[in-house]
Amino acid sequence: MTPIRKFEKPLGMRDSFPLINEKKERIRDIGRQFFQTRGFDFIKTPTVEYYETVGKASAIADSSLFKLVDRQGETLVLRPDMTTPIVRVATSKLLKEQIPLRLAYFANVFRAQENEGGRPAEFEQMGVELIGDSSVFADAEMIITASDFFQELGIGEYHLTVGHAGLLQSILTQLTQSKEQVKELRTLLVEKNMVGFEEAVKSYGSAKEEEHRFIEFIEHASNVPTIESLRPFIDESDKQQVNMFTYLSDLSVLLENAGLSKLVTYDLTLTSEMSYYTGMLFEVFASGSGFAIGNGGRYDGLLHEFNCNVGATGFGLRVDRLLEVMTTSTAREPHALLFFDEANYLKAVNAANEKRKQGIRTTIQYVNGVEDRQAYQENFTEVVWLTEGDGNNE
Amino acid sequence: MSELTIAMPKGRIFEEAYVLLQKAGFQLPDDFEESRKLIVEAPGENIRFILAKPMDVPVYVEHGVADIGIAGKDVLLEQKRSVHELLDLKISQCYIATAGLPNTVMNEIAPRVATKYPEIASAFYKEKGEQVEIIGLNGSIELAPMIGLADRIVDIVSSGRTLKENGLVEYERIVDVTSRLIANPVSYRLKSERIRDMVKRLKESME
Repeated sequence: MTPIRKFEKPLGMRDSFPLINEKKERIRDIGRQFFQTRGFDFIKTPTVEYYETVGKASAIADSSLFKLVDRQGETLVLRPDMTTPIVRVATSKLLKEQIPLRLAYFANVFRAQENEGGRPAEFEQMGVELIGDSSVFADAEMIITASDFFQELGIGEYHLTVGHAGLLQSILTQLTQSKEQVKELRTLLVEKNMVGFEEAVKSYGSAKEEEHRFIEFIEHASNVPTIESLRPFIDESDKQQVNMFTYLSDLSVLLENAGLSKLVTYDLTLTSEMSYYTGMLFEVFASGSGFAIGNGGRYDGLLHEFNCNVGATGFGLRVDRLLEVMTTSTAREPHALLFFDEANYLKAVNAANEKRKQGIRTTIQYVNGVEDRQAYQENFTEVVWLTEGDGNNE
Repeated sequence: MSELTIAMPKGRIFEEAYVLLQKAGFQLPDDFEESRKLIVEAPGENIRFILAKPMDVPVYVEHGVADIGIAGKDVLLEQKRSVHELLDLKISQCYIATAGLPNTVMNEIAPRVATKYPEIASAFYKEKGEQVEIIGLNGSIELAPMIGLADRIVDIVSSGRTLKENGLVEYERIVDVTSRLIANPVSYRLKSERIRDMVKRLKESME
């Protein structure tokens, strides 16, 4: 290890310089307005949580957690996601007051990096949770809200992929012989390792015909043209499976009616390492970022971990990736600079207040406090000299 | 039709994959001479190739600067990057194996293994229930047992000639390796039609 130099930040940590910070604040403002109008209340939770509760319940891998120890020897974590803390607050308190709950957040979360750049270890997430509603309308609301928010931000080319964790699990169980096989196949699907999937299916040594049917299912399921086309793979005698299928089919109708059919594709093989997703789940992509911008879904399983039996659904978006795909306006906001000298200080303060009242961003600066005035002026759209002499005070 | 960027390893794999693409009906110029250019366009198909070190292909694809890529299974196993593995191209077949001097056993106190693939090697020995010390090397791995740096090596074997010429023997076969078609998860969604079409055509031409 080379010694740490003065200018270094911990691995994966980033500064937000004024321009970027402004952009983030703008997203936050738009989001606040947007989600509030849709009936969501914003909430904040502590940056630090117990490892035993939030740390363990969160689906983020243990090796990605920042851990600390408090004075009592308890292990703490910097929150790796926002859904788990919100579920903690909701199940312990808020749900007793109101149900269903619509909550929103804009917060930084922490995920430790192993050794490579390109990924921040701290980043902002913005999202919503709808807790206490198990209906298909709640799930549809999440997907539609996510899509509308992208419109609101002016992101042109984006896309949503929708899957169903429960239905996939049920069909996989039916097509395989053991729990281990289901687990193995699920892991391969999380990685989208299609080659590995086919190899695994072949290694199970089932009849050629079954094998063929299995591979056919996966090929079809990864790009479902219409939900109805999945019907041949549904076992009509399995009531639970039929229910999930009907659910997904209802969801697709709701999304179609909301005008989303062009933006949504269905991929039944969509899975997530987040093992608490039990039903519908979705991801959002936009051109300009090599990674998914956000994801969401129904996570009734997480509420069970907090001893609560109501349903919950939600989604989160990564603000750092939103920044990548949003177009930047190059137009500079008006920003006035008032140069003053000893004699004109009061005059400058008054003039600045006048300008600020008109809504113009104004900076006052003692002229002799600046060495390179030419360079300094470049940062402003308007410069006023309140100095003795001809205004080109040298 | 949106442009498709393909990250390709330089050298033999590129040539084999290029032929595969031509066989699948992609209109690519025949005289794709080996120049020193790192980015090559195929305007007829609206495809752009970027030529990279084999180990780097998954990096370009994971970050999305290349939509798809061709990478050896060895590299995928070693790096565990989040890319979609779509198709086994069945080219550049070889395997990863352990090797060492003939009739030797591993040091009991501190067994040492030299390799270019620290992840694969350590996973393999862990699975066997053995704790070994991994020594990372970048090439000429065969040297390690010959001069006493390590008891075993974990390396790619294609014909076995290099091992033989250096007086080493193969001990255990770890995993078979071929080249795979990989895709960036976002490109896989946003350029879904083009990528699916390519997979389908490649699959058909291989049958």
